[in-house]
Amino acid sequence: MFSFSVLAQVFVDGIGLSAIYILIALGFTLLFGIMRVVNFAHGAFAMLGGYALYFLYGNAGLPYLVAAPLAALIVATAALVLERLVYRFFYQKMFQSMIGLLGLDMAIMYLAVIAWNAEERSVPPGTDALMHVGTLVFPEQKLIIAGIAAVALLAFFLFTHYSRYGLAMRAASQDVDIAEAQGVNSTSIYRLAFFIAIFMAALAGGFYAQTYALSPFAGEPQLMIAFVVVILGGMGSIPGVALGGLLLGFANSFLGTFYGSATSIFVSFGAVILLLIVRPWGLLGTREA
Amino acid sequence: MRKRKFGTIATRALCAGAICAVALSAHAQEVMKIGVIASLSGGGTAWGLGLERGVQIAADQINEQGGLKLAGKTYKLQVVPYDDQYNAAQAKTAADRLVNRDDVKVIFGPVGSPGAMGSLPVTQPAKVIQFVDGYAPAILKNEWKGAYVFRINNSTLEFSEPIVDWLKKTYPNAKKVGMIAPNDATGQAGVPILATAYKNKGFDVWTEHYERGTKEFTPLVLRMMAQNVDVFDLNANAPGEAGLLVKQARQVGYKGLIVQSGGAGIDELIAIAGPLANNMMKYDVIDESLPRVQPFVALYHKKYNGVMNGLAPVYYNAANIYFEAMRRADSTDSTKIRDQIEKLGGNYDAPIFGKVVWTGEKNYGVNHQLLHTFVIKEVQNGKATVKAVITP
Repeated sequence: MFSFSVLAQVFVDGIGLSAIYILIALGFTLLFGIMRVVNFAHGAFAMLGGYALYFLYGNAGLPYLVAAPLAALIVATAALVLERLVYRFFYQKMFQSMIGLLGLDMAIMYLAVIAWNAEERSVPPGTDALMHVGTLVFPEQKLIIAGIAAVALLAFFLFTHYSRYGLAMRAASQDVDIAEAQGVNSTSIYRLAFFIAIFMAALAGGFYAQTYALSPFAGEPQLMIAFVVVILGGMGSIPGVALGGLLLGFANSFLGTFYGSATSIFVSFGAVILLLIVRPWGLLGTREA
Repeated sequence: MRKRKFGTIATRALCAGAICAVALSAHAQEVMKIGVIASLSGGGTAWGLGLERGVQIAADQINEQGGLKLAGKTYKLQVVPYDDQYNAAQAKTAADRLVNRDDVKVIFGPVGSPGAMGSLPVTQPAKVIQFVDGYAPAILKNEWKGAYVFRINNSTLEFSEPIVDWLKKTYPNAKKVGMIAPNDATGQAGVPILATAYKNKGFDVWTEHYERGTKEFTPLVLRMMAQNVDVFDLNANAPGEAGLLVKQARQVGYKGLIVQSGGAGIDELIAIAGPLANNMMKYDVIDESLPRVQPFVALYHKKYNGVMNGLAPVYYNAANIYFEAMRRADSTDSTKIRDQIEKLGGNYDAPIFGKVVWTGEKNYGVNHQLLHTFVIKEVQNGKATVKAVITP
């Protein structure tokens, strides 16, 4: 069982899982990090991203490299209405945001059931090709996702640390009053952060739909994944998302292969509980004052 | 003046008479509710929609012919579906609603064993006739002696040995079988039966279970591959999960044979797995190319878009059996109808599977198992073609 070829394939598989987990969690951690909002509707936007990709790529047949970002753009743009009507009332109000956005999540989910019924659909992958390296097999679709995850992480980091808007976001996240006194327009900055977060959620949702399945309920496992990753890595921490995603992805791959799915789930959630007890701010998060 | 008064009265009398005639004719045609419990969301949706649509088409045909005539009354059939999400708790809730609120005398479904087992404690004491196709033996062999439940599709007990025989003859070099199954009544009931059939023919068998709702199977598939299996049997996995299992198995480099012993329909699996489904073999209950099935296929595509799951003709067949039994009983009494259903064995040519054959006394203690011919299909380039026709 513990042969080199199996271990190597487990490692390769772990990369694929980690990449999709990181992409799913990025938008979630951004909203918390900047606006202190626990976005329980994160999965709903990911699900909408899946449907947008389904209609643009699966049905309308647009080229994949156009359809994937366009789907995320459409969802993020449409979500700006909800930013104005709903989210803006929850910025810096963590506990109210949990309940309010849970309600929003349900509303969006069941609106999708009414619009598109509950039937599971399949979104074709960008490519069915498999890359063979010796005995190892790597689906090219997962390679694309891994590449995008790496680029997204780097882009996020560079944006938040070296761009003017990114620095303004960090200033607002540390102390919004002081930031406004320094000339930062917090409303615009929050709107930008929201747009980026939902764009990432919708993009990840499209990849998830291609990798697994699409239905109005497809957002729920994605929300769970986002939660586990950011708790592991630290709420609001971009490097934390990378670490959390890698830990969860490799743990699921290794434990699931060698010990079965029940053990994998038990250990994953057991680790989350343990971490919440001993280090609730996560591995790379900041301890709250 | 008198003439105008008379005209007004006459007009009003005529109108009143017309209204009464409409009311009476509406009253003469009562509504008979037909219950459906089906997985209308989740991985089993293809089956659930197939079930619902098959029954609906049968009901529509009768309504278009003026309704179902029994004991001097004419009934308009109304199909009432509820979603059980392929689990026992939801199926029980759905059965409660249908039996106690909607007052149905028959329920078609649920599709899978979890739902079937969840609904029987409600339907059987109430003497509501149920047509199911879950594979668990306990659906028929139970404390109610299967009195009011019929299985309208081959189960694992009926098809496992013929399929394993066929596999042994067609792939004589295959030695080890791997099965990954859901950790619920479907997997727990069906897998041991299949495993026994394989072992009786000299195969080694490895099995692993997952929680229903899982979408990421690559760790389990890697675990299976480490066992050096030659045949990956998808057993009774729902179309959504089966498609993902096929796709993910090929994506991690599994090169052996993939078969599915169980589960109706193949189109959704092909839609999910795409070209990675090539060369797989699958049990199916019918094929659209068969002459008996073609009229139903035409009816289906006239009413519905998208692919047709194999359970649609299966439940159309079952619905016709039920309505024929009602006509012969000339009654809405479920015990009389149940007795007539049993007597249809050898005496009724059902539209899809032909002459009705009831079996099951030896395995379940009651002859409420429909036995029918099935097919093995091979997938190539997005299409499934019949490779073998097997009569159990």
